[in-house]
Amino acid sequence: MQIIYTDVLVIGGGLAGQRAAIGAKRRGHDVIVLSLVPAKRSHSAAAQGGMQASLGNCFGASGDNEDIHFADTVRGSDWGADQEVVRMFTHTAPKAIRELAAWGVPWNRVARGDREITVDGKKHIISEPDAAHGLITSRNFGGTQKWRACYVSDGTGHAMLYTMSNQAIAANIPVHERMEALALIHSDGRCHGAIVRNLATGELLAYVARATCMATGGFGRIYRVSTNAIINEGMGAAIALETGVATLGNMEAIQFHPTGIFPAGILVTEGCRGDGGLLLDGRQHRFMPDYEPEKKELASRDVVSRRMEEHIAAGHGAHSRFGEHLWLDIRLLGADHINNKLREVKEICQYFLGIDPVSELIPVRPAQHYSMGGVRTDHRGESPQLRGLFAAGEAACWDMHGFNRLGGNSVAETVVAGMIVGDAMADFCDSQAGKLILSTALVDEFGQKQQRLLAGIANGNGSESAFELTRLMQETMTANVGIFRHRDRLEQAVSTLQELQQRARNIGLRSAAPGANPELVTAYRLQRMLKLAQCVAYGALQRTESRGAHYRADFPRRDDLNWMRRTLATWPDDEAGLPTLDYEALDIMRMELPPGWRGYGARDYIEHPQTSARQQQIDGILGDIPDADRHARQQALMPFRHLLPEHLRNNNERQGEEP
Amino acid sequence: MNRIPLRPAARTLQIQVLRHNPHDPASEPHLQTFEVEEADTMTLFIALSEIRERQDPSLQFDFVCRAGICGSCGIIINGRPGLACRTLTKDLPDRITLAPLPAFELIGDLSVNTGKWMRGMSERLETWVHSRNLENLDIDTVEQAMEPELAEQLYELERCIECGCCVAACGTAQMRQDFVGAVGLNQITRFQLDPRDERTDAEFYELVGDESGVFGCMTLLGCEDMCPKELPLATQIAFLRRRMVCSG
Amino acid sequence: MTSHPNRGPARADVLQSLTGLLLVLFIWGHMFFESSILLGKEAMHWVSKMFEGEHLFGKPYPLLVSVVAAVIFVLIAVHAILALRKFPGSYRQYQQFNAHMGALRHADTTLWYVQVITGFAMFFLASAHLFVVFLQPDNIGPYASSDRIWSGNFWIIYAPLLVSVHLHAGVGAYRLAMKWLPIPAASSRQVRRKLKLVMWGIVVFFLCLGSASLATYMVIGRDHAPYAGERYVPGKSQAPTGEH
Repeated sequence: MQIIYTDVLVIGGGLAGQRAAIGAKRRGHDVIVLSLVPAKRSHSAAAQGGMQASLGNCFGASGDNEDIHFADTVRGSDWGADQEVVRMFTHTAPKAIRELAAWGVPWNRVARGDREITVDGKKHIISEPDAAHGLITSRNFGGTQKWRACYVSDGTGHAMLYTMSNQAIAANIPVHERMEALALIHSDGRCHGAIVRNLATGELLAYVARATCMATGGFGRIYRVSTNAIINEGMGAAIALETGVATLGNMEAIQFHPTGIFPAGILVTEGCRGDGGLLLDGRQHRFMPDYEPEKKELASRDVVSRRMEEHIAAGHGAHSRFGEHLWLDIRLLGADHINNKLREVKEICQYFLGIDPVSELIPVRPAQHYSMGGVRTDHRGESPQLRGLFAAGEAACWDMHGFNRLGGNSVAETVVAGMIVGDAMADFCDSQAGKLILSTALVDEFGQKQQRLLAGIANGNGSESAFELTRLMQETMTANVGIFRHRDRLEQAVSTLQELQQRARNIGLRSAAPGANPELVTAYRLQRMLKLAQCVAYGALQRTESRGAHYRADFPRRDDLNWMRRTLATWPDDEAGLPTLDYEALDIMRMELPPGWRGYGARDYIEHPQTSARQQQIDGILGDIPDADRHARQQALMPFRHLLPEHLRNNNERQGEEP
Repeated sequence: MNRIPLRPAARTLQIQVLRHNPHDPASEPHLQTFEVEEADTMTLFIALSEIRERQDPSLQFDFVCRAGICGSCGIIINGRPGLACRTLTKDLPDRITLAPLPAFELIGDLSVNTGKWMRGMSERLETWVHSRNLENLDIDTVEQAMEPELAEQLYELERCIECGCCVAACGTAQMRQDFVGAVGLNQITRFQLDPRDERTDAEFYELVGDESGVFGCMTLLGCEDMCPKELPLATQIAFLRRRMVCSG
Repeated sequence: MTSHPNRGPARADVLQSLTGLLLVLFIWGHMFFESSILLGKEAMHWVSKMFEGEHLFGKPYPLLVSVVAAVIFVLIAVHAILALRKFPGSYRQYQQFNAHMGALRHADTTLWYVQVITGFAMFFLASAHLFVVFLQPDNIGPYASSDRIWSGNFWIIYAPLLVSVHLHAGVGAYRLAMKWLPIPAASSRQVRRKLKLVMWGIVVFFLCLGSASLATYMVIGRDHAPYAGERYVPGKSQAPTGEH
């Protein structure tokens, strides 16, 4: 087996992976990026509406800053996020967007003078000041107090990914395309790289590295109806889980996007609603204000998706031959706006629905969209259990999203985490701990194990079809571990998944074609996806509360008293039918923003006694420094800048804000 | 979404696929016909997935986003390049012939290595912003202003998804392996337009001022007509041609 | 970058387009002059004498026609040599293009191939025509030309030349426009559609005009066949036509 040595191995060629690679490369380390597909085809390209960063340039963003972005994100997470990480994130996001602006992303800009906007179904005229002309503009998104989603029409992710990829090419970073990591090489709590399969030739290779970064995105394809690309099968998280050492955090926290087009599940951006689009029911009645008078269509995604399903369940859906759905109405935005700012949406509607959204309603229904959970890392992006293993982006549970992610925060996370993790990996490589010490025998051992596993599947002569079992898993997840969860259905999901896991050991391949062999790929991925699915289902069954996107119909309240905890899943025994769950407490006494009502959604939750204690403490601390500026006040409550790489610690300048 | 109810008068599609597995010494390129029951809103993505799942699990093809965004699934559909994921079977005749994009290295069946080609093109044309100050960028201060119209124009050119359809639709590219294609020329116009890129026209001329670049283009316009993103490629190449002629 | 880039490819491209443009303008003009026969022998005679400079200098200088023929021949040669760069360079390339064109069923790609074939044909047909004009510049006139066409059997060359040259020129002019004109991106598709319509209009117009002229020359040539070689003298009633 060929062994390729490098300082840093980045698994995944999306925004997070490539930014981390660039960071490490700039610090003088050799980097190789592995990608299932050509890097520019990564799922980051599908991000449409925007990237959250508190630049505060345009009309609706005026007065925005890191503090408001922080509060929005924590509320959005339903207090499940790590608040220090959220601070690191909101502080670095403006820097990330400015870096990308210099690198070439054609962010849409503020145009001085009057323009028409649509808010709450009505037209208004607003005026942009001269001073902001030409600066990066932003649009409204759900769950935010300000217009904070900076965008490039509705191809934001595409534009970002192309710029990022081009910079990686400029930095001469090799991307080994069509490569899939099958296992992490590790010993004694230290990761040494990965065993990798070439998806074009079927050949196995070993990549040995001092630092390995998991940037493989989410695992939406464990669901039947998902907005995710079909490559989003969570193999990064799965092979981390298969080490038996590394932990996956909050796997039950799955986001459903309100506007997947029906029935294909292809995403249309939250920007549709951010720009003034409305949700209508079967009778074309605008129903969201009835449920959510405060934020209406622009409550957080978990809340809107839940309200939509609730409304359909109450018999108000529109009927089609594929089933029930609701309508997204963007007609009121006008042809000009749609043709310029929502043109990918228009294209999707034309090609997949055969309709023109300028004059017709878009059929939508919530679809699986994002996994808040992933490889649990510390604030630097490193696995606490497996040194040398880092993770960034959706693959990670860095934990800035908690139990619900705000729209536009994920593309922002990819780049910000990439910046931070790239440096952290470089630091690690520079340190004594980052020295590469391993025997090639260990590499062989891991390689041979994968070889045996693949041969076992290829020669198994079993009776089960990998495609069929995959479909059953996806249907189980969509039916039983969806937006509304309940003990009975979760138990059923857990047992079905266990049964599928058994059946997956008896797969028979019909094709023995040399080379790529897509059937073999489906078969070995299925076994790993089943483990991820089980982490989601079993984690959801155990979490007897409702928080963010995790909604238990039998436990409808958020329970801070018992569940101010992050789920950690490991899979130490390969033969086991269930993951081992552990919990990590979130310390309210260290929070800058103690738990409360989110400003939308349910007002009813079980309070933790420390909440009021911490609130009093905060009032006291702030009372002592009445004249301090916002940075100092923040610093007094929850210092975070020391956690960032030094070059990311400075204050962010804003147009119109006193320095 | 493979379990979609059939239309009352469902057609049986004859899908002919040009098959070849270069990793199998015994494999010869040949056409294989599959029969698929057409379903409502069926795309070639759904049809091909169904063939792989139910009829021939060894069939190779590439899909990633299945939403017309990522550019993975360019194939030749009845002689013309297009994105398979958003091609509805209802717009096609009963007999559909599918072949891999020409001009790219074949991986197997319908899967070709567009990634390698595009990376080579990017390296050769240096498709990134060239600026001296990127080394010591100040990312704490307010960003450089840019005219809103210019930003929109840049995005217009940046919508290219590098699917390779323009290369497959280009007669020049069929004859000359080293031709950069509309995809490459369009990207040069994108960076030429971008004030953040400090390269001069003379420097761009070094990159595309020859027969493998803009002067190799014979204005056959297959690129413009087959671009899934409907980019104004003819206009862009004409612009670049004038610009390069005048740059001397 | 201080090195001097190779300007060759840019110049070659411009030169190919420029020679093409001049040839297109020439041939379109040529058509109007030659079709003067449709207005009668007198008109055609007047035009042919004009080209010999008679109206300017008082007496004809057929050498002027030879000079024009030579210039056109040089333009054609330069244009052809430059265009050859783009032709399939090997049988393999030819096959690839052919297969591509057949599968693509794309008008502009096929039209290029039409240009290749017509260009190739014209290399012989136009050369033959120019050669004769160059060597016998005084042999142009209502009877001289008609006799050449009919009694000299030159219609066998002129008929295919007529079709080739107008397809080639029309398509070439359209391609030139698409190649160089600053057409706004927003309206490029509409503009192109219009250009193409104009192109076909021009091609059809000149084919009709050319065919009518050629037919006229052939009829005159047939009637004048017994007197072939006799020149047209303006004002004088000529034997062949006067016999009716």
